[in-house]
Amino acid sequence: MIDAHVHIGKSARLQIDASGEMLVQVADALGISRIFCTDLTALFYDMHEGNRLLYEEMRRFPDRIIGYASLPSARFGREALEELERCRQDYGMRGLKIYSTPEASIAEPAMIPILEKCVDLDFVVLAHTTPLECEYLMAAVPECRFLMAHAGGQPFAKGDWNRAIMAAKRFPNLYLETASSTIDTHFLETCVAELGPEKIIFGTDTPLLDPWVQLAKIRETAIDARARELILGGNIARLIGLAA
Amino acid sequence: MILDVHAYIGKWPYWPLPCGSPADVVGIMDRCGIGGAVVSSTRGLFVNWPDGNRETAEAAAAHAGRLIAFATVGPPELSHALHACEFRFTESAPFRGIRLYPQYHTYHLLYEPFVDQVCEEAEARRWPVQLPLRVLMNWGMPMLDLGWMAALVERHPRVPWILTGLNYFHELRVGLALMRRFADVHLETSCIQGFQAIAKIVAECGSERLLFGSGLPLQNAAAGVSKIEHAAIRDADREAIFGGNARRLLDLRD
Repeated sequence: MIDAHVHIGKSARLQIDASGEMLVQVADALGISRIFCTDLTALFYDMHEGNRLLYEEMRRFPDRIIGYASLPSARFGREALEELERCRQDYGMRGLKIYSTPEASIAEPAMIPILEKCVDLDFVVLAHTTPLECEYLMAAVPECRFLMAHAGGQPFAKGDWNRAIMAAKRFPNLYLETASSTIDTHFLETCVAELGPEKIIFGTDTPLLDPWVQLAKIRETAIDARARELILGGNIARLIGLAA
Repeated sequence: MILDVHAYIGKWPYWPLPCGSPADVVGIMDRCGIGGAVVSSTRGLFVNWPDGNRETAEAAAAHAGRLIAFATVGPPELSHALHACEFRFTESAPFRGIRLYPQYHTYHLLYEPFVDQVCEEAEARRWPVQLPLRVLMNWGMPMLDLGWMAALVERHPRVPWILTGLNYFHELRVGLALMRRFADVHLETSCIQGFQAIAKIVAECGSERLLFGSGLPLQNAAAGVSKIEHAAIRDADREAIFGGNARRLLDLRD
């Protein structure tokens, strides 16, 4: 199994202080082989400092931690593009994580060159964002492999996973990532029926959310074994060229 | 036996949910190892609470020993006068508690006289009163104001409260603060999704007033069970949360 949505580091707002060691222990307990991590300092404060901290944790757990380069906003222009280049070439990271908020939406022109850079760097993009924002961004850079974090199940997207499915249907490279407080009945079955299992990516949002609930949300559903395997690791492994 | 204190029967108007009949609900309970569930009908949220209560009572009668009825009570407008409704329980009444939903019934929890009337009667008769902050952990669904919830509990601290649908951060902190202050406040688990949250609650307030709830059939009940099964707590605490505490509160025999 691969967990495509894990936070490392510190955040006052999310009340998190998580080391790589702690996160690997949690993954061990759940039987998760690799965790795709984003550093909270990079995501909400200072991209250079946070991405460097994540790189240090990646070096401590090279077989377990995969890195997302993180940016606190789409509005850092060339500095952000250079940071992404550094994260790919020097740190070996495999994706971008970015967080859209009502006060600083990523659905704006400044985000377009960042997505184009992600295509150049062979990055997947995990974005805490809304279906409407995804549609704007995917229309601009449709070749970008884009994971809608929480599949609409977050406050700014009003928890509307049905709307997230509609957006993912429109764009071949728009995927839904499953981590969320929301555990609505038939969420996963509906996603699979409407999109196919290839477009659903398992994540836990550890250590914000209880990973056992997130895993049960995938395991305790009426989908077939192949679909479950794809969702629990096969799909993200395919997207970044790893063995699941 | 696992006893679930937050479940529903009925239809769901927001998206297709083909599992709301009483038989469907009992089927989900069987698959998840849930022996009994406290239910009310969603008809009581969306259509008319007296009709919803009748539906709830019929379901509990048809599935005696599996479904336990809670009455939904709303403002006494139109034909819903309180004196005409089952909410005035008798010893033979089918209901074991009350649920209030101001976010669906469009009233202010602190400025409707019937709410105080319900609370005074519940306190005198030891009826549990369930206050769902939300019906399910979906960010788009209507929520009760957390401040109203806290203020009502402070106004009527001796009602056997079941605070329901709280998730994490300040929501949980408010729930825990009320538990610490008032011995009759219980907390239900269906929407508590935070990392290691169950273990933290038990460490802070003990397990005696923590009640398992799933939110079925609106939520994935197996995920709710998994949360308690994997919590880093003692087995005795787990058993209490899974049913012992609720049986005591609802005065049920094993």
